[in-house]
Amino acid sequence: MENLILELKEEIIEVLNLEGMTPADIDENAPLFGEGLGLDSIDALELIVLMEKNYGIKLANANEGKEIFKSVRVMAEYIKEHRTK
Amino acid sequence: MIYSIGDSIISPLAMTSRSNFEAVLRGESRLQFQEHAFGLPEPCFISLFEDEKLDSAFSALSDLGTDGYTKVEKAAIVAASQAIAEANISADSNDVIFILSTTKGNVDLLANNPYEPERPYLWRSAQIIASFFNNPNMPVVVSNACISGCAAQITASNLLNAGLYKYAVVIGAETLSKFVISGFQSFKALSPERCKPFDANRRGLNLGEAAAAIVYTRATEDTILPENALILRAGAINNDANHISGPSRTGEGLFRAIQKSICDFDTSKLAFINAHGTATPYNDDMESVAINRAGLQDIPVNSLKGYFGHTLGAAGVLETIMAHQALKHHTVLKTLGTDEPGTTMPVNVSMQNQTTDGNTFMKLISGFGGSNAALLMENNRNNNMSVETHGRASQPQQSEKPTISVISRCEITDDAVILNGQTIVSINADSTNWLADIYHKIGMAYPKFFKMDNLCKAGTLAAEILLRDVDFDRETVKPDWAVLLMNSASSLDDDRHYQTTIQDPANYYPSPAVFVYTLANIVTGEIAIRHRIGGESAFFIYPEYIHEQLERSVAVTFAANPEFTHIICGWVDYDDGHCNVNMELYTNK
Repeated sequence: MENLILELKEEIIEVLNLEGMTPADIDENAPLFGEGLGLDSIDALELIVLMEKNYGIKLANANEGKEIFKSVRVMAEYIKEHRTK
Repeated sequence: MIYSIGDSIISPLAMTSRSNFEAVLRGESRLQFQEHAFGLPEPCFISLFEDEKLDSAFSALSDLGTDGYTKVEKAAIVAASQAIAEANISADSNDVIFILSTTKGNVDLLANNPYEPERPYLWRSAQIIASFFNNPNMPVVVSNACISGCAAQITASNLLNAGLYKYAVVIGAETLSKFVISGFQSFKALSPERCKPFDANRRGLNLGEAAAAIVYTRATEDTILPENALILRAGAINNDANHISGPSRTGEGLFRAIQKSICDFDTSKLAFINAHGTATPYNDDMESVAINRAGLQDIPVNSLKGYFGHTLGAAGVLETIMAHQALKHHTVLKTLGTDEPGTTMPVNVSMQNQTTDGNTFMKLISGFGGSNAALLMENNRNNNMSVETHGRASQPQQSEKPTISVISRCEITDDAVILNGQTIVSINADSTNWLADIYHKIGMAYPKFFKMDNLCKAGTLAAEILLRDVDFDRETVKPDWAVLLMNSASSLDDDRHYQTTIQDPANYYPSPAVFVYTLANIVTGEIAIRHRIGGESAFFIYPEYIHEQLERSVAVTFAANPEFTHIICGWVDYDDGHCNVNMELYTNK
């Protein structure tokens, strides 16, 4: 699980172009959206692509994403359960 | 003040303005479910031209054959030729300027281009269209995302009122492709069913193909306007200065554009508002808020997206003509597809075709890059219109020529960044990330920068440096500031990047974060957000950098908008790894 969290943080930093950030800067228990990382609606859509591309998980819409993108830990738990690759 | 002397719509529904109107009156639509259009893995609901119909209409115009022209060019040429014939003008004259409104033109050629290498460039499409009519002037391309069609009409108004040309042929044209549809799919913006504008259960937009054209000319004091001429009373563009893709929740830019184009017009005389009404949850909510803030909630509102789909760069032109057709026939059209209106604020959605005695309508449109436009349009019903006008954009301001001066100038080349003639950063030719190098060297702190494509990075850096030593209000949104940019490659650098995310079927992951930058005007939005610019934002495409184009744009924009105090105007190009930026801050004070 901890490996998956680290891997996920690295992927998020890369696909969302979070310049100058390291995995240690992201608290896996903190909300991804709202305060903190300053992510917006386009980032949420890009995370949907990440889920499909890297883990084979297809999300129908952004609303579904809302629950899953609560924090890196919630994301990792969801991936562990549903990944197809 | 300018008025129309000819128009045309060609769409999957019908091949003239009149026949399109009749089809719409009958409630027809060619929006259809397509399982795998353009080889897309996911289905969509779209409206497509029939190739044979388009080819036969094109063949009737020329002996040249259809092979040398792309679909979007053929559609544009057929529409323009009908409008020009109705206007009865000689399009090969110096007096005529062609203005092309499109967002993506020939972008499908990025997948496979059997033509010359420059064919995907928007200026090249415009050149091919204007050359078909032997027009000698360099055409203008307006590429302002979804508001392009209305922005192009405002450009026509500015150029004609300045006396630079006698006639403007405004053409809006857009065809669909894997590129465009996959991008909207990645944005989760498409409805899986027929779109339902302003409906409580709307699920997104449908895309459509179309071309439409209007020939405008300027009215002088002794002009006798033809009966049923369409008059552009006033027009305004305002940026939300809020987000590059999401509309402002408070309808900020649209509200300002409505207010400005209405000016002192008695709004009780409005027959209807033809809204953008894309049927995405956010757009329609935003429009409902802006309409309420402007006090227009009781005026009938309709959207034509249920008939044609969202025709992108063609939409502003097509919908203006359709709304005029409706007024000519004393009709307020029904909003097809809507069962139960439901938006943040209530609006008076037109639920069936109804009659009206009004002569005036308002056209609204909004799009990516935070841009919004409103046009106040009038039908010359009784042949008794005086040329006297109200409003601002409609008035030639020749009596008082403002003194325009340049406050600062920033250039970015492959070698250096130059502010007011002084090199402030030298560029290391070996660096692989030299735009980021500039960012660090000037001490900029704006993490969003790293999410941008190269074009936006270049433009954002130039604006940052341009305004560095200028004293102005950086906190509040400034509706009296405008940002007008132009280039040759539009967003092709990012377009090519996006194409790589959809090219290989085995590795097909369309990226929304890349797609959002496949519109050239996003850079005007980035600059508007960063520096709180709430006036006009516009993007134009020309084959090459000519400094006089900047000066001309600034002069006609100040003339049409006397309340503007500052305009950032610049050439911002990024193509094939090379950057060419020349940005200037103008004032009329």
